[in-house]
Amino acid sequence: MIELVRVTKVFPNGVVALQDVNLFVDRGEFVFVVGPSGAGKSTLVKLLYREEVPTEGEVYVDGRDVARLRPGQVPPLRRQIGVVFQDFKLLPNKTAYDNVAFALEVIGASRREIRRRVPQALDLVGLRDRARAYPNQLSGGEQQRVALARAIVNNPWLLLADEPTGNLDPDTSWGIVRLLEEVNRRGTTVVMATHARHIVNAMQKRVIALRRGRVIRDEHHGRYVRDDDELSSLLEEMRAVVSP
Amino acid sequence: MIRALAYGTREALASLRRNSLMSLASVTTVAVCLTVLASTLLVAGNLDHLAAAVEAQVQIRVFIAEDATPETREALAKAVAGLEGVASVEVVTREEALERLREQFGSRRELLDAVEEMNPLRDSLEVAVARPEQVVPTAEVISRLQGVAEVNYGQVFVDKLFSVTRFVRWIGLGLVALLTVATVLIISNTVRLTVFARREEIGIMKLVGATDWFIRWPFLLEGLFLGMLGAGLTAGLTWQGYPWLVEQAERVVPFLPLLAGEAAREFVRRTNLVLVVLGAFLGAVGSTVSLRRFLRV
Ligand SMILES: Nc1ncnc2c1ncn2[C@@H]1O[C@H](COP(=O)(O)OP(=O)(O)OP(=O)(O)O)[C@@H](O)[C@H]1O
Ligand SMILES: [Mg+2]
Repeated sequence: MIELVRVTKVFPNGVVALQDVNLFVDRGEFVFVVGPSGAGKSTLVKLLYREEVPTEGEVYVDGRDVARLRPGQVPPLRRQIGVVFQDFKLLPNKTAYDNVAFALEVIGASRREIRRRVPQALDLVGLRDRARAYPNQLSGGEQQRVALARAIVNNPWLLLADEPTGNLDPDTSWGIVRLLEEVNRRGTTVVMATHARHIVNAMQKRVIALRRGRVIRDEHHGRYVRDDDELSSLLEEMRAVVSP
Repeated sequence: MIRALAYGTREALASLRRNSLMSLASVTTVAVCLTVLASTLLVAGNLDHLAAAVEAQVQIRVFIAEDATPETREALAKAVAGLEGVASVEVVTREEALERLREQFGSRRELLDAVEEMNPLRDSLEVAVARPEQVVPTAEVISRLQGVAEVNYGQVFVDKLFSVTRFVRWIGLGLVALLTVATVLIISNTVRLTVFARREEIGIMKLVGATDWFIRWPFLLEGLFLGMLGAGLTAGLTWQGYPWLVEQAERVVPFLPLLAGEAAREFVRRTNLVLVVLGAFLGAVGSTVSLRRFLRV
């Protein structure tokens, strides 16, 4: 489970990315985090795997206050969390197989275990036949599936995805989201930050909406925006894009 | 632990192969830096050797009082030999002194026949000291002994000589120190470049939960390999090149007291050991230190 208690994040340059955010996500949930550009979605995700620490408040991941971890406790935290990024973050000089195996090597898995689990993960994302390809030989969608396989290969209970479909066409995006849904169905908690309006609306999952660092809406079976202020939100988002 | 070590070695080797151009550049930089350092070390070593050779030629000559009996002469020789820091004592009688003078006169030795009857020379002791800086205090002590007429060690000359040799040694030391600093800077900078080129990779490793040491190992080993390889090249060069250079130098300037033969081999061996250790150390520590910045994620 994840719990944020009165979390505020102010960057050194004075930007307030999150302000007084309270949040609870249970194990096994599937949550969308939406909001206009600059709303604080990425910052929220980064707090969970401790790329950033909150300025104020507590961030509990699996019962531990992540902000108070000693440096030595950060790797164990990250090993129970899978992360998928908009820009994939694959190692360019390793094959798809080795990129996935890497996440297991890091935690000291045996070779036998690696040989068993990597093909399973690649199977799940449907890339077994592309295992020997390097990232630059794969399409965007394929690269993202490799990244997803890497994120889930050591069975994390929490999967974080920060705009995992940001660089992909709608069909490919749906492919990724279906995979996330499958991972969630197998018991993994999924938190996905996204701008993909049509996906959020179609999935009917819990939606947490941020605006200027505050949670403005948190509802189950939610939509990307509430119907009644869909237009005003759209306008605001457009404004944010034009003058961020 | 074993697994992490095996993984580290495998990754380091793979990375050396993958970034072969970068590795080549690093090895070359290390080799060039260390070769300059090695040359300076060898020059400094030779300067020191030269200074020592010149200093070793300084002797104390003790003239014995005219009225001294052979017994006092022997007693004096014994007393001097027993002094601290005295390496050897040779008694030179006035007859022997004249004989030597004759030899030096060579073809005009008959000039000395005239003085044969009334030899004006005195009995003396030739005293060699173990360490050059002992010349002055030892001469001081000897001059106060019974039966000593005069002590001579070329006072003014020795003082000048010692200040010159001291100066030469300081220059050698200064050069070595300066170049060591430069080498450390250049090599660690080279290693920093290889680390910097892979900062993204390091970030991803951190992200999937790698511990700092897990990330450090391959870099440390890679730095170690690079440093040792570069130093090895330098060592090979000095091992082959130094004797050759000495040979060339001796052909041009004979009798120059250069480090040569077994002493030279020993010196080059020791220099090379220092270089390899330095190269390995700089490579390993350089990469570990430059990693620090990127591990803070
Ligand atoms: N490292 C940083 N230093 C300073 N300011 C930052 C930093 N990271 C983010 N910010 C600022 O914090 C605010 C929130 O950023 P964040 O990346 O969380 O937004 P986002 O909701 O993910 O936006 P997008 O949809 O464009 O990805 C922005 O105003 C951003 O400029
Ligand atoms: Mg973002």
